[in-house]
Amino acid sequence: MSNLQIIHFVEYELQAIALVWMVTVYAIKLYKLCCLPMPWEKAPARGSARRGAASSYASILNPWSRESSREHKGRWLEFGLYHVGALAAIVNTFTYPFAPQLMTDPVKLVFAALIAPAMVVGLIKLGRRIVRPELRIVSTPDDYFALVSLQLFFFFAVMALLVGTPSWQLAYFLVTALFLFYVPFSKISHYIYFFFSHYLTGRRYGWRGVPSGGIAR
Amino acid sequence: MNMQTAIQELDKRYSRLVGTSATNLCTHCGWCIEACHIYQATGDPEMSPVAKAERVRRVLRRKHDWTSKVFPFWTGAKDLTEQELNEWEELAFRNCTLCERCVVNCPMCVETPQIIGAVRGTLTALGKGPEILDQLADSAIWREEAVDELKGAFLEQIGELEKQVQDRLGNPQARIPVDQPADKLYVPLSGAHTIVPPAVIFNAVGESWTMSLFEAANNALFLGDIPRAKRITQRILKEAERLNVKEIVVAECGHAYAVLRWEAPKWFGGPLKFKVRSILEVIDDYVRDGRLKLDPTRNPEPVTYHDPCNLGRKGGILEEPRRVLRAAVMDFRDMTPNRWENYCCGGGGGLVANEDWKDFRLTAGKVKADQIRQTGATVAATSCDNCLIQITDVVDHYKLGAKVTTVSQLVTNALVT
Repeated sequence: MSNLQIIHFVEYELQAIALVWMVTVYAIKLYKLCCLPMPWEKAPARGSARRGAASSYASILNPWSRESSREHKGRWLEFGLYHVGALAAIVNTFTYPFAPQLMTDPVKLVFAALIAPAMVVGLIKLGRRIVRPELRIVSTPDDYFALVSLQLFFFFAVMALLVGTPSWQLAYFLVTALFLFYVPFSKISHYIYFFFSHYLTGRRYGWRGVPSGGIAR
Repeated sequence: MNMQTAIQELDKRYSRLVGTSATNLCTHCGWCIEACHIYQATGDPEMSPVAKAERVRRVLRRKHDWTSKVFPFWTGAKDLTEQELNEWEELAFRNCTLCERCVVNCPMCVETPQIIGAVRGTLTALGKGPEILDQLADSAIWREEAVDELKGAFLEQIGELEKQVQDRLGNPQARIPVDQPADKLYVPLSGAHTIVPPAVIFNAVGESWTMSLFEAANNALFLGDIPRAKRITQRILKEAERLNVKEIVVAECGHAYAVLRWEAPKWFGGPLKFKVRSILEVIDDYVRDGRLKLDPTRNPEPVTYHDPCNLGRKGGILEEPRRVLRAAVMDFRDMTPNRWENYCCGGGGGLVANEDWKDFRLTAGKVKADQIRQTGATVAATSCDNCLIQITDVVDHYKLGAKVTTVSQLVTNALVT
């Protein structure tokens, strides 16, 4: 296998296998979750479950919606930068191999500019987890590994975008594939459960007329 | 203790809400930490919501999470031990009041109180629930069994209270009807303060009402003991059915409202035959419809209001008490934060019943004491008996020099007859 063939395999076939793997594991996990009994609200509603769920999803975009972000706006900003960076790095794994014509130098620069701040935030998060006792006592090896591996993912994404040599591309896509295999088994999979939990909790608060997030009622 | 039995009991309570919050949903980000009044009052890292939930999550993950089954050290998963189970007693019944303040502050909506609630139910099933809550739940069931024997003495006591109602209204025809067919069945708590003010109000507006033979309190809910909680609730539902009422009106009590309004329909498979409202909602209607004439100058002191978690954050009753208080008092001042963001008083979740943990709940009440002090109010009103007891103790302990009362008492003070 030539170097180019290896890069091609890692960029396409390996990514596809890893993606199918990830989706399959998620599907099984979510199916098992859905099999658990759910105590749905059965009393007459005071408000709107639908609005409650919508409000709950939307609240994440609004730092004023909950005290924990309203009074710690730096924390909310970190949260935003980190997740925008992660999203950009994930999108890049698709645009890079499947839409190379879109990846002009200015576009690559924009992607890198979105991902780089996430690396800085990642370092802050890692430091805080080590220093703050409240976080240290609840942290597991999985927590630290998730942060470190995401740092690597961001780093290789930025290098693949800005330097773009085959070896950086190979490293980026290898890390991505490993990531896809690992993520469903780690806390990084929280984003899948996010949609579940915000629906369930938002629906309940909305049903009961509790305007958490400000617009449920 | 057989740990297998304990795990089986925990598994029985592993619902979709618990399961979602027990998986990888929690990222250990720590946004919930400062949301907890107990953490704020103690500064103890072990008292943060994430730390409390994590103690249980580690055991649940060992059983339900694939990674944790194979590599427990990686996710911090642990097998349940007898020592851990014993430590869970304080964790579940003392260190968390199930107030849900952490839930509304969590960016992931991790339902820590659901996890803690599952532990409460498990411990109770294993005979490790607080004895006092157990006794209170049993006595509520016994009261139904002995109702015929108790009825005479109860009616005699009500007769004494009826005189107070007549004196307040200057109306010898005012009554506290018990066990009579009517439109509304009012379910009080034990204590004249939950009977006389509502009776004054119902008589003042000429309501068709009757009072329950039973009290609304349901301590089995705090134990997470659903079969017993259903049994206690059923007494009231049977009574309502027998008296053919249209509506059950619950006294100023957070958990009793939660039971009858939200939980009972889940337990009994669908909406109840009657409307269920809190007395606050009923008084609010009377005030808005002009049926109650109130003179706020009769309550001239600055008044603040504590939102009970079960009525506010968990029940949506947020504006009703405020509208009523603005009509009944001269100077209403909200605490900060308030409504669904309000802090627990520190006595919720049944904590107030346990004398052994009084020092702990007074420490936890510091946040509430600071909130009351900041308003400058000399009267602290609330709509829950547990909150009333806790805030009375907190006011005394922190020397706030404020009076503590209920909303219906302030309405009665302001009533123009």
